[in-house]
Amino acid sequence: MDPVKAQQLAAELEVEMMADMYNRMTNACHRKCVPPHYKEAELTKGEAVCLDRCVAKYLDLHERLGRKLTELSVQDEETMRKAAVGSG
Amino acid sequence: MAASSGSASAADSDLKDLDLVGSDMGSSTIQYSMVLEHLIGDKRAAKDLNPGVMGGLPVPAKSDEQKMIERGMESCAFKSVLACVGGFVLGGAFGVFTAGIDTNVGFDPKDPLRTPTAREVLKDMGQRGMSYAKNFAIVGAMFSCTECIIESHRGKSDWKNAVYSGCVTGGVIGFRAGLKAGVLGCGGFAAFSAAIEYYLR
Repeated sequence: MDPVKAQQLAAELEVEMMADMYNRMTNACHRKCVPPHYKEAELTKGEAVCLDRCVAKYLDLHERLGRKLTELSVQDEETMRKAAVGSG
Repeated sequence: MAASSGSASAADSDLKDLDLVGSDMGSSTIQYSMVLEHLIGDKRAAKDLNPGVMGGLPVPAKSDEQKMIERGMESCAFKSVLACVGGFVLGGAFGVFTAGIDTNVGFDPKDPLRTPTAREVLKDMGQRGMSYAKNFAIVGAMFSCTECIIESHRGKSDWKNAVYSGCVTGGVIGFRAGLKAGVLGCGGFAAFSAAIEYYLR
């Protein structure tokens, strides 16, 4: 595949991917860090610390899984190419 | 061979079938690894990650000084200084008040019926007020500091933070008089903190 085309496709998908990731991250971290006892409007120190940690972990996870997926995808494509060459 | 390889990769079968079909043509297939490298891997473009772009509500960006001020005000040091000052004022008021209602002020053993002079009374009130103020300030600062540290460590904000830090504060204060006094201080102060938290929550 053409690298320019790959980049264009990635640019199109990126906005959607970012928005989806942001939504999921917000939901997950809110569920984990902010218990539903709304006694005051400000975030307490414990909740703020928990949210910082949650976001850092989520982004780290996102990056690692992305790299792993890219690796697996490369291996998969190699296998497919060999199979196609073998059969063709 | 093509059909069996195609059915083996069940996860992303459609595009992989396309890959097999178009592999001799080469240009109309989607190669995941290249797209992923641009999305998640090393070739991704630097993006300005703010909520307005990613689907949240657009908020005006905070300036660096504002962030620094907010971080300072949320820090444990600032909170313990605040508690220290508050404790000092409260202790001073409490000390002056108790000195005012104490009948033993200015007692002279040689002449028990003598009424104390105003200067003696005021001096005693000042001394007692200052002593109470210092004690309250130290206790308040210690309690606030330990509570903030425990809350930051746990990442939660509930009544247990106050109980743990009450135990630590009471323990440290009581430990100066021996181990048993330390344990008693821990228990007593923790129970007191739990009562206050129960009332406040």
